[in-house]
Amino acid sequence: MAIAAIQTCGLTRRFGALTAVEDVTLSVAPGQFFGFLGPNGAGKSTTIKMLTGLLEPSAGTIEILGQPFWSGALELKRQIGVVPEGMALLGRLTAPEYLRFVGRMYGLDRETTNRRTEELLDFMQLANETRKLVTDFSHGMQKKLAMAAAVIHGPKVLFLDEPFEGVDAIAAGMLKNMLTGMINRGATIFLTTHVLEIVERLCSHVAIISKGRLVANGSIEDLRAGVTSTLPGAEREQRLTLEEIFLSIVGAGGQQEPAQELSWLA
Amino acid sequence: MAGLAGAGGGWLGSEARTQYAAMATLRWQMFRNGLRSHKGAFELGARTVSYVLYALMGLGLGTGAGAVTYALTSNGLWRLLPIPFWMVFLLWQLVPVMLASFQEQFDLGILLRFPVRFGSYFLLWVVFGLADISTILGVLCCTGIWIGITIVRPELFAWTALGLAVFAAFNILLVRAVFSWLDRWLAQRKTREILGAVFMVLVLSVQLVNPALHRQRRQAHAHPQVYASPADKAMAQAQAYQRTKAELKAKYEPWLETADAVQKWLPPGLAASALGQVAKPQSGMALGALGSLGLLGVYVLAAGGVLAGRLRAEYRGENLGVAPGRKKALRRQGGWILDGSGPIAAVMEKELRTLLRTLPLLYAIGAPLVLAIVFSAAFLRGGGPEGRPFPLALPIAVVYALLGFSQMFYNNLGAEGAGIQVYFLSPTPIRTVLLAKNLFHAALFILVAFLAVVMTSLRLGIPDGATVAATAAWLLFALPMNLAAGNVFSLTMAYRLNPGRIARQRGSQANALGNLLAQVVVLGVGAAVFGLCWLFDSIWLAVPIFLTLAAGAVFAWTRVLRNADAMANQRRDSLIATLMKTE
Repeated sequence: MAIAAIQTCGLTRRFGALTAVEDVTLSVAPGQFFGFLGPNGAGKSTTIKMLTGLLEPSAGTIEILGQPFWSGALELKRQIGVVPEGMALLGRLTAPEYLRFVGRMYGLDRETTNRRTEELLDFMQLANETRKLVTDFSHGMQKKLAMAAAVIHGPKVLFLDEPFEGVDAIAAGMLKNMLTGMINRGATIFLTTHVLEIVERLCSHVAIISKGRLVANGSIEDLRAGVTSTLPGAEREQRLTLEEIFLSIVGAGGQQEPAQELSWLA
Repeated sequence: MAGLAGAGGGWLGSEARTQYAAMATLRWQMFRNGLRSHKGAFELGARTVSYVLYALMGLGLGTGAGAVTYALTSNGLWRLLPIPFWMVFLLWQLVPVMLASFQEQFDLGILLRFPVRFGSYFLLWVVFGLADISTILGVLCCTGIWIGITIVRPELFAWTALGLAVFAAFNILLVRAVFSWLDRWLAQRKTREILGAVFMVLVLSVQLVNPALHRQRRQAHAHPQVYASPADKAMAQAQAYQRTKAELKAKYEPWLETADAVQKWLPPGLAASALGQVAKPQSGMALGALGSLGLLGVYVLAAGGVLAGRLRAEYRGENLGVAPGRKKALRRQGGWILDGSGPIAAVMEKELRTLLRTLPLLYAIGAPLVLAIVFSAAFLRGGGPEGRPFPLALPIAVVYALLGFSQMFYNNLGAEGAGIQVYFLSPTPIRTVLLAKNLFHAALFILVAFLAVVMTSLRLGIPDGATVAATAAWLLFALPMNLAAGNVFSLTMAYRLNPGRIARQRGSQANALGNLLAQVVVLGVGAAVFGLCWLFDSIWLAVPIFLTLAAGAVFAWTRVLRNADAMANQRRDSLIATLMKTE
């Protein structure tokens, strides 16, 4: 049996009385494009922070590439790349300076760092912005730079927290190609996003978290079959989109009865 | 539109009043919610202590201003009244720069997403600045002046209050206008770099000009006279004093007259003039006083107009991030500054680049250096026993240089912002990051301290070997001690530093107070050892004492570094949250 790229067991995080993530157990196989979905405040970013060492779990264990992961697991950190929620950018540097800095922090030698920096800037279409400080970048440019920084050291496991937010369609297409290429070369990607079309197109497996608890986990086809089987006979014939699957599992919430609508809106 | 507060009315209309109330509630709720955490409660305690200290400072300054004013007016020296006014003016304008990083600031830019009228925005901007330290100190000084004049001339009670109120209004508006424009310029990289370069040139110029000015004096003291008796010496000194005074008067009086003629038309001069003229019984003077006050009122309007101009642009949604820029050159930047591919070189290079683009840090390093030069002039004038230069001037100059680094030492992660996450994500341990930062800061400090030593030596002569050795030994104690304490404070009480701003910084009173206490301990130990050894005329004795203390300090520093990862991981959540905070 192959060693899981990411394995959690009973992962829990409490903030005082609030339990943000509770007893999350999941397994991501090597080479899998894994979508981690959930409504706002469900615990996605908290989970990803724990998986990348930015937040200490209150309970449970994490294994990355078959080894226990904790904030001090430095060798494992060389194997993972992250686009965190806040993007982790240093605003007072230019894009090449930042990429060189990150490369060196991951222990790359000078020649490799410089070469990859050039390639990444070209690939991300940031090569014309090398004099600009990161703080003066648009949100989309910052996302692209954060993505470049996450892959500069050639990680085997990539964690992406909302990587497509604020990125234009052209850049999004380019990023998708890059990620697909990484998957083809054996990398594992753990993705959270609210854009379900992207998940449906890219990911082979998804997990859904709601109110801190894992409510679904499996391949998209398995989830589709599970939801379809609960539908009345006539509706079982239609092919559900991921959005419909998601709403069915998490609960629509937005389907208000007329009496509950906001009366002052036109 | 049911439920909306009355949309009519100006900046005091019902809608505006609702918004003011909402802002007041917001501030109260932010304050109350801040107390939920231990850090917030500690911040409140630190802030209370700080305000007590500032209040005491203000009372001291106010009493001083009152005493000076009383002395001048009771002796009829009304023409010298501008002196305390200029002092108050300088205090009011300079204190915000010195204390900018220690004051909590609230960015009113968040209001712009709401339908707030410009008048309301302007009013809130002014009102929210009224509780800052410079205003408190300035108002206390004005109160001192008011009391000083009222004791001498009770009948001027109301007129003095009016004049001082207009003067205070001018200061409040001017300081806010200046900083709002500074912030606007600093928001653009080009102007930021120009201002940074101008600032560095100024700092260096002050240091180069001063020794040149005092060279003549050193030459005069190069050949000390031998006197037959103490009485002869005293007489010769008195004659020399009178001669120098006469020479200075002849040389500088025309300059002073010109300066006086100019200052009369400037706000502090006008405020003093408005009070001075009404104090004189001649006819027509009251009219002159009214004219002065009216002109001062014009200055108030001008300062308000400058501030309003800046706020109007902000109000209209000016985006400083994409302010008009030139066509960017497409050429790539050069390679690395610091060789070596390891994380230590990476962090040191990043620190250097960040420092060169962070005016508050450049200012923090440069300003105390200027002060060291200014204060060394006091030793030059005062001298030590038997006319020799004060032997402790060198360590004191180095202490001033050290003070400039306190913000860098005690909040060494503050400029990282969201980038703090890189350190936790990368395989580089936090202790390596802190070690690199400490090495960079120590190297920079040694450079600045060396500059301070050179400048002090140029002004006061080369100090004796014992003083140099004792100062170096003290530094071996003070530097690792500051670095150790700084690392602890940086991990436990960090605050985000906005690198593009001198004013409106978000500070931490807890960090500032802890920093102050640590400095008091380090400086207190140094002063005690130096003082005792100087008293017994055995400065050499300080060297082994400081070296022993240095061994302890280095041990403490290595211990802190060894525990840095554990400390950082323990406070990881709050550290990341604090440094990523943008509101």
